[in-house]
Amino acid sequence: MDRRHFIKLTAITGTGAALTACGNPEHQLIRFIPEDDLVPGVATWKPTICPLCSAGCGVTARVMEGQAEVFRNGQPGVISMGLAKKLEGNPEDAISQGKLCARGQAAIQITYHPDRLANPRKRTGERGSGQFVDISWDEAIKELVGHLDALAAANSQASLALLTKPRRGRRLDLLAEWLRRFGAPAPVTFELFSDDVLRRANEISFGVAQLPTLDLEQAQYVVSFGADFLGAWNSPVAQSAAYGRMRQSRPGGRAKLVHADARLSQTAANADEFVAIKPGTEGVLALGLAHVIIANNLRPAAAAGRAGAAIDGWATGLTAFTPAAVEQRTGVAAARVERLAREFAAHPPAVALVAGPPLAQSNGLFTALAVNALNALAGSLNTPGGVSFVPQPRPAVATRDLSALLQEAAPKVLLIDDVNPVFASPASRQVAGALMRIPFIASFGSFVDETSALADLILPDHSFLESWVEAVPESGAAKAVPISAGPVMRPLYDTRPTIDVLLDVSRRLATPLAPALPNTFEEFLNREETAGVLRAGDSAPAGQAGAEAPALQYIAPQFDGDPTQFPYHFLPYASQALFDGSLAHLPWLQELPDPTTSAMWCSWIEINEHRAEELGIHQGDVIEVASAHGTVRAAAFLNPGLAPDAVAMPVGQGHTNFTRYATGIGVNPVAILAAAEVSGTTALAWSATRVKITRVGGPDDTLILFGGATRERPEETHGR
Amino acid sequence: MAYRWGMAVDIDKCTGCEACVTACHAENNIPTVGAGQASRGRAMHWIRVERYYEGSFPDVRLKFRPVLCQQCDNAPCEAVCPTYAAHQNEDGLNAQVYNRCIGTRYCANACTYNVRFFNFFNPEWPKPLHLQLNPDVSIREVGVMEKCTFCVQRIKAAKTEATAAQRELVDGALQPACAQACPTTAIIFGDLNDPESRVARLARSPRGTKLLEDLGAEPKITYLQKQPWHEPDAY
Repeated sequence: MDRRHFIKLTAITGTGAALTACGNPEHQLIRFIPEDDLVPGVATWKPTICPLCSAGCGVTARVMEGQAEVFRNGQPGVISMGLAKKLEGNPEDAISQGKLCARGQAAIQITYHPDRLANPRKRTGERGSGQFVDISWDEAIKELVGHLDALAAANSQASLALLTKPRRGRRLDLLAEWLRRFGAPAPVTFELFSDDVLRRANEISFGVAQLPTLDLEQAQYVVSFGADFLGAWNSPVAQSAAYGRMRQSRPGGRAKLVHADARLSQTAANADEFVAIKPGTEGVLALGLAHVIIANNLRPAAAAGRAGAAIDGWATGLTAFTPAAVEQRTGVAAARVERLAREFAAHPPAVALVAGPPLAQSNGLFTALAVNALNALAGSLNTPGGVSFVPQPRPAVATRDLSALLQEAAPKVLLIDDVNPVFASPASRQVAGALMRIPFIASFGSFVDETSALADLILPDHSFLESWVEAVPESGAAKAVPISAGPVMRPLYDTRPTIDVLLDVSRRLATPLAPALPNTFEEFLNREETAGVLRAGDSAPAGQAGAEAPALQYIAPQFDGDPTQFPYHFLPYASQALFDGSLAHLPWLQELPDPTTSAMWCSWIEINEHRAEELGIHQGDVIEVASAHGTVRAAAFLNPGLAPDAVAMPVGQGHTNFTRYATGIGVNPVAILAAAEVSGTTALAWSATRVKITRVGGPDDTLILFGGATRERPEETHGR
Repeated sequence: MAYRWGMAVDIDKCTGCEACVTACHAENNIPTVGAGQASRGRAMHWIRVERYYEGSFPDVRLKFRPVLCQQCDNAPCEAVCPTYAAHQNEDGLNAQVYNRCIGTRYCANACTYNVRFFNFFNPEWPKPLHLQLNPDVSIREVGVMEKCTFCVQRIKAAKTEATAAQRELVDGALQPACAQACPTTAIIFGDLNDPESRVARLARSPRGTKLLEDLGAEPKITYLQKQPWHEPDAY
């Protein structure tokens, strides 16, 4: 017997004695035995999956033994357990390829957040008052089951709604199936920067309602229409990895990246050529390129096939989109349009991509169709160096959008699965008001935020490191496969995995769901891999591909606000650190200097540096941005890379109730947006609001920059 | 000197995403200081991404450059330290001995690259954020200067492992946290004494430059400049 076994044995004996002595509550014991595979001071690595965006990066967690204060059955205690110490990309994962973005690495702070909810809570005060009392899981589940039973008794199962994130995968499949077996309508999904417009366009152009995978690694010429593919859009780690190879260290030389936008975003900054363009006219530029290519017989118009047929006037050579006409509408010089088109055609494989602000205009669907047609014309669909679609194991389940909760026939019971639409919706949509009218709300998030503060019952989820996790990447690699992983560490608190709670509830209902679903998510994942739990006909798949839409005509973008009263385009953008605001509670990300401004812990309003000079606005001055729907005030940042007729703001700050690190910091630009929709879809046109700006006063010291001046001034370097 | 650790940063690949910054915080137990202290210039980022705008809209360019301790051969920080807390170790690293440091901040003053950070307060990690701390890296207390170490804890662990296995370190197997996280592989780390290592080869690249080279600090980080795109036919 070696020393380690001796210690283990004595510890077990001691534990046994203690158990008999005090009637076995595990939490009252100090565990002497570390987990079997853990040696103090020696790290092990366990796989998991980043939950923060829909990319589904495979992650490796470094786990070491440590002493953690935990809650078990409402009682605190200290135990020795394996603790995640750092998140890194999993080198064996097709998406992350061993790399991880800043946000993904900070996800570990979700698990260890000091304001994370440790046990179920029930509302005591008025809705939104933030007064909750701790309750046990038995009470919480009983309460939830009671409300669901009441719905069933009144035969109004259709009045149950579930609000979740649009993350394709087996978890969403199971949630949808749970709802179907209960008799409730499809899940409601919400994400501010959703890609529904692009999915819809891809369905029309290519018959696939899915996000594209870009083969940047093999492309020779890339034209990006507003797509922040190196920042926060789609699968940023996979796209950045491919971008790195596109720049250096590949045979065939360095590709050219052209980026068209009204603001020099982080991705735009990496372009070889930045094309400043009027907001909402990106589709015109795409068709201008196509016109030149067709008119000069560089590619036949027919090559675009179905994607071309979706554009009005394609077959006749897009006569309305001559370089001169494009210059008039977009502000991009005709000669430049001509040159870009010739370069695009002359350097195959060439690929165009579109996302972000251009698709958040009233004519966003048209813009996406125009870029799709350009890709099809260039022959870059499903070819090396082009765009392709990752084969999906199952068709995506049907979902509904947020308007389902805002209509007259609102649900009677709402389950919220870690989504915050109250924060991330324009105030004019009155989401909070609509939620207040719903008789019973249960929230499953790990934190109190603006939305879960309105809940009657909070049933906190495990963190992703404590749960079974899975992802079916929609994009990012040619051959992405569904991945799943078990818990990295034991739970810190009295929390339960949301999906397991719902599966538990399904058995406890007066009329249990039939046929019965698996007992746990782990069991579901295991059975799904072997025999399959869900059958093809279970939950209705999303809209059938193949329904061809009539050819779309260009319509100039419609902006909310009279240009004489509101002279500036308002361009909110996804923050590189805080994304849509759902990560504002993580201190590493709050203190992460923004790539283009170096700002931390604050909101700022970007304004063109020369326009600011004309208006007498200096760096840090407090300015007010007013739309027809509201105003926000923040410090000015004089940006050399922004159009003079635009004002830009990062989304993410302005939380009123979201942990100690986010509450009360900055302002929320989403609040003042018009609730306009992208034509032909129900997506929010978040880039289509016009505003005016007023200087309110001098600096209020809220603008916190890590870096100094934005320009290199060699003459000053010796004069510090 | 068996090893001479160096780095190459390819500006043509760097996208300014700052994955390296979070990786460094996670690996090296760098505290966040909060809005109040950050506004007084006390935020600590051993690695940062600098940004330089050129021109004005619409003909505007923005270049990113990750800046960290350049591990200079002729380091200005070392010469001014009265307690030899800042010194050159046997692998050519500008090492900082925290328990020798008395907080004169002379080194930060002397540093050409502004990459030394002072602990104005004892760092705080409200429970249970302290559980994320890396046990391999000591926490610095108030009054102590800290800086990039090229993840010396990883270097030491790899060396120990290699010695135990009686083999040489394999080029590329040992990476600091920033290089490991970098999605575009813009950061390459390795042994400059090995002429065949990737970093040594990149250090000889015609695109290579050193930061503020004329000041004579002899940094061990090579920056590979951005290449302009030109028609492939022109090659």
